[in-house]
Amino acid sequence: MMERKKILDEGLLEKYLLDELNDSDRTIVERAIISDEVLKKQFSELEADFEKMALENAIVPPTHVKNSIKEQLEPAIVKRLSNTPLLVAASIGALFFFSSIWMYTQWQNTKNEFESLQSQTTDLKERLNILEENYVLTNTRLKTIDGKNTVPLLLKGNELSPNSRAIAYVNHKKKMVVVNSEGLPKLPKDKTYQMWSDVDGEMIDMGVLKSSEELITLKYIDKAESLNITIEPTGGNDHPTVENLISYVIL
Amino acid sequence: MAQLLNDDELIRLISKKDKNALYGIYDKYSGALYGVILRMCRNEATAQDLLQETFIKIWQKIDSYDATKGKFYTWAYRIAKNTTLNALRKQELLIQSEDLSVYNNKTQDETALDYIGLNGAIKKLEPHHQEAISLVYFRGYTHREAYLEMGVPLGTFKSYVRQALNLLRENYNKELVIFWLCIEILI
Repeated sequence: MMERKKILDEGLLEKYLLDELNDSDRTIVERAIISDEVLKKQFSELEADFEKMALENAIVPPTHVKNSIKEQLEPAIVKRLSNTPLLVAASIGALFFFSSIWMYTQWQNTKNEFESLQSQTTDLKERLNILEENYVLTNTRLKTIDGKNTVPLLLKGNELSPNSRAIAYVNHKKKMVVVNSEGLPKLPKDKTYQMWSDVDGEMIDMGVLKSSEELITLKYIDKAESLNITIEPTGGNDHPTVENLISYVIL
Repeated sequence: MAQLLNDDELIRLISKKDKNALYGIYDKYSGALYGVILRMCRNEATAQDLLQETFIKIWQKIDSYDATKGKFYTWAYRIAKNTTLNALRKQELLIQSEDLSVYNNKTQDETALDYIGLNGAIKKLEPHHQEAISLVYFRGYTHREAYLEMGVPLGTFKSYVRQALNLLRENYNKELVIFWLCIEILI
């Protein structure tokens, strides 16, 4: 009863309705309304009066407010109505998928091409090395036979081998002898050509000639007066078989 | 469909996340709440945003509504009022931070009060009674702010409110009596 009087006298019902009370007063009023029928009736009437007054003073809001609320509460529907983002996403996905396949194929092709190129490069490198070696060899030989200090000497075959031809390149400065024996006819397997230097009437071995080779480097012998070619047993001889002399040239 | 249901049914459906029930409640109370919000903030665009915010809060907080503590409209009114007051406080802070403390909204408020006039039973009251009710209900003033605004002692202001409410009650009761008389006559 005391509480009811206090609530009514201090206008706490109005303040409670208007949400002006602090937490403790609000709790007191709420409890009182629930337990006290008189207060409950009073509060209900107050609520009804205020509600009626509010309705009498209502202002109709524009329709877009309700639409905005609907849009806010139903974004899923808005999304469902518009398939465009989904289609765009699907298109991008498909594009990505196909471009990935295309790129993978391109990558594989490139990989194969690269491997093929790599093997070709290795092959070319090997060939280049061989060519380089050949070039160095040929160049060395060429320098040997083509220098200004080199004397080319033709060794023609005598009556024993009239078709024989050999060219000896002699460089006295470098003390080198290189012979092109391509022009010598082929011999049976157990025979070979051998070259000798004549020094004061003594024949000194210069080395064996193989008819298959283009240029053969032989021993240079000081003070040689002539170069001689004989036919000897395979492997060469310690002394020349003079009756088998097929060619000579005087230095 | 939603319009045919009473508040209790609509509230039960809203708590079950029935959006149509919220739209039913909106159709019923948006005008009354918009009337309060617009009179408080005096800006249509802001008032519309705040009305939307209020209904979104109603949707989200419906489970905290307790029918034993009062009518749905009272609960919704408090949400609308507090939402608007918070927005106005933020606006005020913004104005202060922009060094516009010389801003005087009292004159503006007084002109705007005429602009958004009051209707119904309250209009039949004496001007000081009208103003007392208008300040605490439609303008969001507390009793302690309102009596200063009216320039009368707090006790006088409280009596104005009490008198105004009694007069409103009499008016509504008269209307009710007339209504019942009409029904009786018709029957």
